[in-house]
Order: sequence, then structure tokens, then C-alpha cells
Amino acid sequence: MTANASAPMLEVRNASKQFGGLRAVDGVSLAVRPGEIVSIIGPNGAGKTTLFNLLTGQLVPTEGEVRYLGEAINALPPHERARRGMGRTFQIAKPLIALNALENVMIGAFLHDANLNVARDRAYAVLERVGMVHLAARRAGELTLSERRRLEVARALALEPKIVLLDEVMAGLNQAEVGIEIDLLRSLHAQGLTFLIIEHNLKVVRAFSERVIVLDRGKLIAEGTADQILNSAAVIEAYLGAGHVGSERAAASDEVRA
Amino acid sequence: MSSIDGGKDLPRPAAAPARPGAPRHEVIATAQRAWLTYLGGMALAFLPFVAFINDAHWLNILALTYLMGGLAASWNIIGGFGGQFSLGHGVFFAIGAYSTAIFVTRWGVSPWLTMIPIAIFAACVAMLISWPTFRLRGPFFAIATLAFNEVAFVLANHAESLTGGPRGLSIPFKAGLANMIFRDRWAYALLMFAFVALVIALCVWLRRSRLGYYLLAVREDEDAARAAGINVLGVKLKGMALSAGLTAIGGTLFTMYLRYIDPPTLFTLPEVGVKFALLSLIGGIGTIWGPLLGAALIVPFENWLRSAYADSLPGLSLAILGLLMVLAALFMKRGVMGVIDDLLKRRRGKGAS
Repeated sequence: MTANASAPMLEVRNASKQFGGLRAVDGVSLAVRPGEIVSIIGPNGAGKTTLFNLLTGQLVPTEGEVRYLGEAINALPPHERARRGMGRTFQIAKPLIALNALENVMIGAFLHDANLNVARDRAYAVLERVGMVHLAARRAGELTLSERRRLEVARALALEPKIVLLDEVMAGLNQAEVGIEIDLLRSLHAQGLTFLIIEHNLKVVRAFSERVIVLDRGKLIAEGTADQILNSAAVIEAYLGAGHVGSERAAASDEVRA
Repeated sequence: MSSIDGGKDLPRPAAAPARPGAPRHEVIATAQRAWLTYLGGMALAFLPFVAFINDAHWLNILALTYLMGGLAASWNIIGGFGGQFSLGHGVFFAIGAYSTAIFVTRWGVSPWLTMIPIAIFAACVAMLISWPTFRLRGPFFAIATLAFNEVAFVLANHAESLTGGPRGLSIPFKAGLANMIFRDRWAYALLMFAFVALVIALCVWLRRSRLGYYLLAVREDEDAARAAGINVLGVKLKGMALSAGLTAIGGTLFTMYLRYIDPPTLFTLPEVGVKFALLSLIGGIGTIWGPLLGAALIVPFENWLRSAYADSLPGLSLAILGLLMVLAALFMKRGVMGVIDDLLKRRRGKGAS
């Protein structure tokens, strides 16, 4: 992985997205290299999901460029990006509720082989990887929130992706579930997958991110290791407001870490 | 159709599941089981044919039931599996009906020869008019397809040189297998049975194919489908083409059975475009057997209503159908197939505990 580490896999160059009078993403540049786990954090309305949609092709940037595997892909539609190895999940999980868990994963597995038996066996292998084989026959509509989220990860993994983009996969999960999810992501990372993660919860980010990017009001305001970010005045200000910087900074930092 | 080769189980990774789940063969049916179910279902559907082989009245009802079952099952491919609630399938039905009648009356070409080319033509028309329409979602799509039906109605009335306009087209009676015209009713019933058997076989195959799974994914969530690498528009167009082509074949058979067609017969919504959807809804939308089941319940019932009350209470059958649809929407959202499915599950659940 290190041999190729200098060439970015997924990159945004000076990208902006304008919605009427609102500049949701404003001149953001970032790069994800093969084998990395990069997190994007920021308060609500910081432009995280808009940036995510620029990367996955749901939106086209007003200015700037999205590059993937060394190629500009600004106008490439989402399904083409998926075919080229970009897996993703959604902030609001989108399981195919009428299908069972196995079939959900098969929808991803069909990408590389039209044969039902091959897709089924691949889907089983992916369900085993994420620890959901025992739920294979369960209808996706009957799964718990955390199982739905993991099912989405499984569907993305069935594409045999090069990079997986996760949009707040931990939101709404309890402590134990978050722990399971973090272990899963770590083991997938150990198998060589690259991740770009949007996360609201700084505790989670700290547990497994190598590099953290902070967005606030559409702009990239900080970038660094999780610890550097958690001690950054700019980040605490963005999260907790200007008044907290200074006397209350230590307390705020503790709250963020808690 | 590599999926028919039986439930061949490829070796899977050896890792055992941490907790036991459902047996793997029950998670999705094997090909063998799917096709055995198909044979069983079709045998059951064939029974009334054997029972009424000498009864011209019932053979007529059977022929119409099989035909409507096949047409509803064709609609169900895009309307049920694909979730695109078309109300414009009357257009493809009419393409099959008019084209066949024109070839027969003008040039004396056998309908057997023109059936498949006409179906392909209808599939192309379907893709052409669906391409812009598929940008619309939900009710907006349904309304747009409704408009196509009404436009085609007006065109058929005006293009007198082609369609005979309001006078319609009639096909002279020249019995013979080559002409697809028969002296005996049972031959028509058998023909319609072959049609519904073909359509449902295609549905069984589709439900086990990548295209079938992609149609379901598109119905469930378009964004999730795109994220899985699915070209949503392409999948919808393929589903629509298949659905429209089969509907046109139904139109051919309908024309050769009645030997007279006119615009109201082909475009009246409660009889055609909406009927296909209604039968599927009542039987079980998005299921393999629902549309045929819906036809088996509604077509004979409607026929009886019409013959019993046509003089005293015209329009009664429409009112009752409307009422049935409301009741189905309120109390059995997944149709009769959904009710059967729930009953089977409850029984299995009891057996297990």
C-alpha cells in the first residue's frame, strides 16, 4: 500500500457547490490515498453531505473538479462510479425492504456476474464478512437500524469496491453497536479497503481515523490527526461557538472527547 | 437461461455462521423448486379447461381469463416488479391488435408470422415514449402514461385509412390453424392458455435473473440501486420493452379471437389499461401468480355481473370493481397472494414451534 501511497485515489480540487444563494461547499480540496481512512467532520449544515454527493455523483460541482483513479469524473453518473469501484452508504439507510438480507447483498453482487448462483454465493461470503449470515433470510424491513446500516455496508462490499464512502453509519446507534461497527471497519481496513467517512460523532472518529478533515459552513477549516483536530481552537469554535474558546476550551475539549 | 440447471450448489467459504439462521436453501428458492412450482401452478390453471372442454359459454370465459391473466402478468413486469405504474399499456395492446388486423385484412399475412415482429415494434415504441416519461416518478408517471393512452385513442379514431376509425376493423372468418381462426372455442382457450403459460414462464425466469433483481431494486429505491451500479433508466427501459412486447402479443390474440376491433374496445381504461393494473393489484402486485389469480377471480365474476345486471343496472360491474379495488387497497395491500403468503407463514410458524 505504501508504494502507491502518494497517488490519490479520490480527490477534490477546489470544489464548490452553489444552491441559489447558498454556497454549501466552498472551495474544498482534499485527497484520499489508497489504504487510508479519512474522516470528514463538522457541525450540522457544514456541507458534509453535499461534499459527499459531489464525490458519489449525486450532484455535479458548480466549480472545481472531482478526480478518481487519476481521471476527472465531474459528470460521471452515480452508477458508473459504483461500477468503477466506489461503494457508498446513505445517511438515511436505504435497504430494499421487500427483499431479504441475502437478496439485498445480491443486488450488489450481480455487478460482476449475472449468474444467480454466483451472485448468491458471493453475497453469502460478504454476509459472513460482516457477521450477518444468520440474518440472510430476514426481510430487510424487519432488521434493526444497526443491522440495516451494516446491510448497506455489505451491499457496498459486494461491489468489490476500491473505496467505500460511509455517510454517518454510526448515527443513532448505541455504544455497543458503535463498538461492533468500529471493529468491523477496522477489520475491513486491515484487509486493504480505503475509507472516506462522514461522521458527526468525534469520539467515533477518534477511534479509527488516520486523518480528519473539518468542514464548517462549506469551507475546510482544519486537517490533521484526530488528536490534533480535537485540540484545535477552530474546531471547538465551530462545534461549540466562539464563546467557548479560551476559558472553557479545556472543558469543551473534554466534552468532545468524552 | 443458465438458472434452469437445477439448484447446483457451488462450494462456499467454509466459515460456519456464528449463529444458525434459516437453512440456506430456503433463503432463495432453488431453480428446481421455482420451476416445479411453475408446473404445478400451470397444471392447476389448466384444470378448468379440462372440466369445461364441452361448454362453449365457459370456454369463452376461460379464454378471456387466460388472456387477461397473461396481459396482467405482462403489465406486472414493469408495473409490479419494476414499480412503474403504467396506465398506458392500452397503447401496446392496440399496436398488437391493429397491426395484426391490418396485415391480415390488407395482405392476408398469417398472424403467426407477424406476431413477433409486431411485438418487437411495440417494444421499440414503448422504449421511445418511456424514455422521457421515466424521468417522472410515482403518480406523475402514471398520469403521463394515461395521457399516452388518450392520445392514442384520438389518433386511432382519426386515422381512418389505417384503423377504420370509429367503424373499426373486422377480420373475415376463414378457419384454419395458419390463419389463427378456429371453429371451436376450445382451440382459442388453449391458445390463450399457451400465452399466459409463456408470460408466467418468462416471469419465473425474470425473477431469478439479474434484470429481475435490478427491477426490484429500482422499485424499492432508485438511489440505492444507483449506488449498486445499476443504470436505473436502462433497467426500466428493458423492463418496459419486455412488458410492452408481451402486451402486443396479447393484442394479436385478442384481435384474432374477437375478429372485430374498434377504438373503444382497445382504449377504454377500465377495460384495458387500468384493468391490467387492477387485476395485478387484486391478485398480488409484484408476485408471479398474482395477476393470473386476479384474472381468475375478476373476469368470471365480471362476466356474470354483466350478463345478470346489464339491463337492469348498467355500470354495476364498474361500480363493484371500484369497490373491490378500494377494499383491496384497505385490507389486503399485497393482494390475494399476500393473504395466502401470510397464511402459509403462520402455518409454518405453528409447525416449527
